[in-house]
Amino acid sequence: MLFNTLDFAAFLSIVFILYWFFTKNNLKSQNLLLLVSSYFFYSCWDWRFLFLLIFSTLLDYFSGIQIEKSTNIKTRKFWFWLSIIINLGFLGVFKYFNFFTASFQNLLMNLGIHVNSWSLNVILPIGISFYTFHGLSYIIDIYKNRISAEKNIVDYSVFVSYFPLLVAGPIERATHLLPQIKKKRTFNYNQAVDGLRQILWGLFKKIVIADNCAEYANYIFNDSSNYSGSTLIIGALFFTFQIYGDFSGYSDIALGVSRLFGIELLKNFSFPYFSRDIAEFWRRWHISLSSWFKDYLYIPLGGSKGGKWMQVRNTFIIFIVSGFWHGANWTFIVWGLLNAIYFLPLLLFNKNRDNLQIVAFDKSLPSFKELVSILFTFGLTVFAWIFFRANNLQHAFSYISGIFSKKIFSLPEIRPTYLLLLLLLFIVIEWIGRKDNYGLEKIGFQFNKIFRWSLYLGLFILLFIYGAKEQQFIYFQF
Amino acid sequence: MKRLLTNLFLFGIVFFVIDKFFYVFLFTSPNLEVDKRLELLINGKINKDIIVMGSSRGAYGIIAGQIEKETSLSAYNITYPGSNIEFHEFLLKTLLKFNKKPKIIILPIDDPSELVFDKTLNFRFERLYPLVKYNYITNELINQKEKNQLARVLCLARLNRGNFSFEKKKISSESPILECGSMPFINQINRKKFNFYKHLKKYNIKNEKESKIKAFLEFQDICNKNNIKLIYCFTPNFRPYNTDLEKRIKKISDKENKFFVYDTLNQLYKKEDYFYDESHLNIKGAKLYTTELSNFINLNKN
Repeated sequence: MLFNTLDFAAFLSIVFILYWFFTKNNLKSQNLLLLVSSYFFYSCWDWRFLFLLIFSTLLDYFSGIQIEKSTNIKTRKFWFWLSIIINLGFLGVFKYFNFFTASFQNLLMNLGIHVNSWSLNVILPIGISFYTFHGLSYIIDIYKNRISAEKNIVDYSVFVSYFPLLVAGPIERATHLLPQIKKKRTFNYNQAVDGLRQILWGLFKKIVIADNCAEYANYIFNDSSNYSGSTLIIGALFFTFQIYGDFSGYSDIALGVSRLFGIELLKNFSFPYFSRDIAEFWRRWHISLSSWFKDYLYIPLGGSKGGKWMQVRNTFIIFIVSGFWHGANWTFIVWGLLNAIYFLPLLLFNKNRDNLQIVAFDKSLPSFKELVSILFTFGLTVFAWIFFRANNLQHAFSYISGIFSKKIFSLPEIRPTYLLLLLLLFIVIEWIGRKDNYGLEKIGFQFNKIFRWSLYLGLFILLFIYGAKEQQFIYFQF
Repeated sequence: MKRLLTNLFLFGIVFFVIDKFFYVFLFTSPNLEVDKRLELLINGKINKDIIVMGSSRGAYGIIAGQIEKETSLSAYNITYPGSNIEFHEFLLKTLLKFNKKPKIIILPIDDPSELVFDKTLNFRFERLYPLVKYNYITNELINQKEKNQLARVLCLARLNRGNFSFEKKKISSESPILECGSMPFINQINRKKFNFYKHLKKYNIKNEKESKIKAFLEFQDICNKNNIKLIYCFTPNFRPYNTDLEKRIKKISDKENKFFVYDTLNQLYKKEDYFYDESHLNIKGAKLYTTELSNFINLNKN
């Protein structure tokens, strides 16, 4: 059940009505309803994996209680490592097993040792990377005495399985989400309207921008050897907007849906393509994952303590791990490595925290210097996305060499005018709304109701006109 | 909550009303099309004795008008280049639903892609999009999950971005659609260079696609149930004839169906100027092949 389908609209409407009309603002009933709905939502993909989700939830729930209860360090360590190993074990088997065996076989073959091919026909359970990270952060926080273990099994299960974030994040923290789950929620009109507005904007990003860009990006990437350099650049640009529209659109829908139930989720995107350097980009792109890696990997590794060398080493580690988190393919690892390389000069010259505030905060347009910085950072990002999108490293390198070897200054063979106009509209709305939580948040507030509704109706109509065939969200595969 | 529900209801009503203005695009879209054959089919205007169905091989290589003259039976060509057997099955069902049933159906076989995956052969959805004003077409798109259930009630949900145009589609100068529905290559100016390819690839059953087999069997079942004579025909490629696919098709087809293979000994089929490319005849080749096919039909009329 995808967010951009009628099935989901029907499901959401039913849960919304049951939630506000039939639970009578009773917290226990509300949470139980959210849990049942979440499990139903998940089982719509593959009910068999629901057992894996429930097992993972129970494991962390009991491990958390045992860690907290125990005063013996050895016992605490036992439960901590049991949870970590099993969680990462599941992730390893389902997501990385074939990658490691294939890479090992290649290595042996390069050394002249012949081995039989050994791979498993594994289906990746949807959302496993996301709910595993929920569980991991919860266990680590209890072990480090940052939080206390949740005793209510329903509340904890909602924290892990809450349907708006279950399959593609944002990656929540117990400190942020659990207190909201445990607090009585009453209906708030402004919050609900804001949620609907964010859902509309998320759908626009996904259906109009991402899916339409995907159509052309796929044409070009799937047949890259036959296109001119200028077309390959257009292909990379389309993918750049596709992945942003797809993932940030998903996040907007998730946040908006959650608001309808009175729960605020962590912000996941903050206008990353307006970043002036790559450090700023990573503070604005997939924020919940970046901050997860910062808190649970970078800082435990020593963070910036221990001098420049340690800082550089740790930065490279988190970027490579982040790349690997996205998928079992060398392309993702190179993508992570490339971003680490982009980051390096900023780190060495202590420039990585120069741009903390959004660009042109108190102006309507950026200065020339800011514009150049934005375009330069954007260009670096587009280049890195080629690795992310390519089928394998060979494809990525041939794509890049194609850009520089074939008519880079000719008119692109593929140039859909309607899509370029839509992208322009999208960029303008994002620019105007860059100081807010999402592009459409406050646009039209100064207008009267008729104009504001016209704007929403216009976007709604565009969803139908430019709605390509329902497409899967890219991040569901991670 | 009451306020939210009232506003949502009002928003829905306004949207529903605005949606009706988009009817204009539903009704103008079919008029902009050059290829009217599918619309004629839906409107029950193709009542012929012989119907040619299939993909580009039939579109470019079989001239229905010539068959009419040579067999004295009325004929029409509703082949679509780049279409697969699933699409042909849909066309057959459409033909029988809205038109008089034909006596003979000619199905040119795509050698070697008829039953295996080939990215160049597809269900030609884009031929259906301009005709979404017809409920029959919209229902088919919904069944095929190209449209969602909203298309039953909302105009906008029926439309695609291609419908938002007032520009008439251009007629192909290379292979215009003739009155009989065929579209032979009449122009050779842009023809690419190609060579007679002597190497024959072995046909592998393992590569066959289940959905194609299913559609293929369904296609012949429909013909049999309706007492329509089904002729499978093999058109020349610019290479020696490979009997593998013919044997395979014979194995899975009913005995009463007929098979027509071009005259493989005819040296003209080894001449480049009878072809548009390695897989398609030009008008000169199409005329030659159609005469052979007409002779075969004449022999099997009864």
